[in-house]
Amino acid sequence: MFGKGLVKGLQITWKEFWAPKLTVQYPEVQHTIPERFHGKFVLDVDKCIACGLCANACPNRVIDLKKQKVGKKQFLTDYVMNIQYCMYCGMCVESCNKDALHFSKDFNMNQYFYRDIPLVLVRREAPAEPVEEEAPAAKAAPKPKPKPKAKAEKSAAPAAAEVAAGKAPGKEGQ
Amino acid sequence: MLRTQEFNINFGPQHPSTHGVFRVVLTMDGERIVRAEPICGYLHRGMEKLAESRTYPQFIPYTDRMDYLAAMLQNWGYVMAVEKLMGIEVPERAEYLRVISGELSRLTSHVLATGVYALDMGGFTGFLLCFREREKMMDLLEELTGSRMTLSYARIGGVAADVPEGWLDKLKKLMDEMPGYIDEYDGLITGNEIFQARTKAVGVLKPETAINYSLSGPVLRGSGVNYDLRKVKSYSIYDRFDFDVPLGENGDCFDRFFCRVREMRQSVRIIQQAIEQIKEIDGPIIAKVPKVLKPPKGEAYEEIESSKGIIGYYVVSDGSNKPYRVHVRRPSFINLGYLDEMLRGYLIADVVAILGSIDIVLGEVDC
Repeated sequence: MFGKGLVKGLQITWKEFWAPKLTVQYPEVQHTIPERFHGKFVLDVDKCIACGLCANACPNRVIDLKKQKVGKKQFLTDYVMNIQYCMYCGMCVESCNKDALHFSKDFNMNQYFYRDIPLVLVRREAPAEPVEEEAPAAKAAPKPKPKPKAKAEKSAAPAAAEVAAGKAPGKEGQ
Repeated sequence: MLRTQEFNINFGPQHPSTHGVFRVVLTMDGERIVRAEPICGYLHRGMEKLAESRTYPQFIPYTDRMDYLAAMLQNWGYVMAVEKLMGIEVPERAEYLRVISGELSRLTSHVLATGVYALDMGGFTGFLLCFREREKMMDLLEELTGSRMTLSYARIGGVAADVPEGWLDKLKKLMDEMPGYIDEYDGLITGNEIFQARTKAVGVLKPETAINYSLSGPVLRGSGVNYDLRKVKSYSIYDRFDFDVPLGENGDCFDRFFCRVREMRQSVRIIQQAIEQIKEIDGPIIAKVPKVLKPPKGEAYEEIESSKGIIGYYVVSDGSNKPYRVHVRRPSFINLGYLDEMLRGYLIADVVAILGSIDIVLGEVDC
């Protein structure tokens, strides 16, 4: 019978009209964000060993990582993500051996100016001398050891000069 | 007899019915189409060349950006080619997770194709109903992978992560409800007389022509050719599932559309069986793969049945950590090959019906 399809379609539409609504009144009401959501990046600086695996894993070379050698260890001085090129694939997060890089649930990353888009996760100065080596040096203070002292003085001098020149801004995390 | 003059009409690249930035220059004689010249390339990003400057795992997220409506199937095709090149065996649980996420991706793609086709034919309610289920499925995919569309879930040797707790139960609940939703689509769209009048006996594609033009997917099966890679080649673990291959009879727009609707039911069946079977399988979700992948010199071609048709990845290795050459056989691009002949003699309103029935995604056409 001609028109049967139309009547059935109207029946379905009528039924749906009275069904509970699925739309939510954003931003007052929000959906729950799942645990694995790929949102804004968060770096746990204490865990990071500045190995650069994340930067190597990134397909778009989004991660700009700078480090400085302090004593025997690498010290992370700059960790900037140019997220305007990021695909949020999660390769960097997966590659981190120390579980330092994470996704957060924050998805509001809009910026008014283009210069504010890069995500500065770390920007700091390297310490003048390794923290671990300070304690033995203090213990050994009564015994005169000219060579290590001279080394420490040398490494401290350029760092102080750098701070005075304002080359290294003291902004850490955002 | 009156002399008529042919004229050209640009259909697209910004027309909503072209489903993306696709342009067709139509040569008209009065109201009839004499010739159609498809022009693609507005979304060309050089994916195949990009692959040559990336390492093997780094290319996985780019494959998502080709067919972003069924991203998992794209991932899957690529990683299968690399696994073949390296001789990696994928763990059983990972295969199940690939099947589940792949079929869920196929469902999201077919649901969108159904809804958008209803919209093309003037039925807005059908579009809204289809999006309702698509959102539910995408919520599940987001919970599994962290992304809604560009999943990047498959990895060389397995998948990125195991399912979260309680995820399979949620999926089972949705799959139990899904046949009811598909009945609604059938009642609202498939059974509608106006829809049938606009799609039946329009854009008829003969089976031999479809084979000669190497068309694939629901476009081929709509013409009645029984060729589904999941049955014919039975890659992955598809031989463990019981499902049918829906076929059309007349090869017109309606048959191509109806094939997709019936394929959704089969995908639901596959997912339901996979959920039951995966419960008994425990183990790793990724094989032991070296950190730096350096496949031996050689080449590999792997193909899978995507939602649009057969997607094939041809990967050539020169022994380094980057592919020497990657070529993608994109079903949307190849299915468009017959468009010119298919459109001849029809009206402009039929262009919308025919183009919609092929179900192209321009990210894949242009690559």
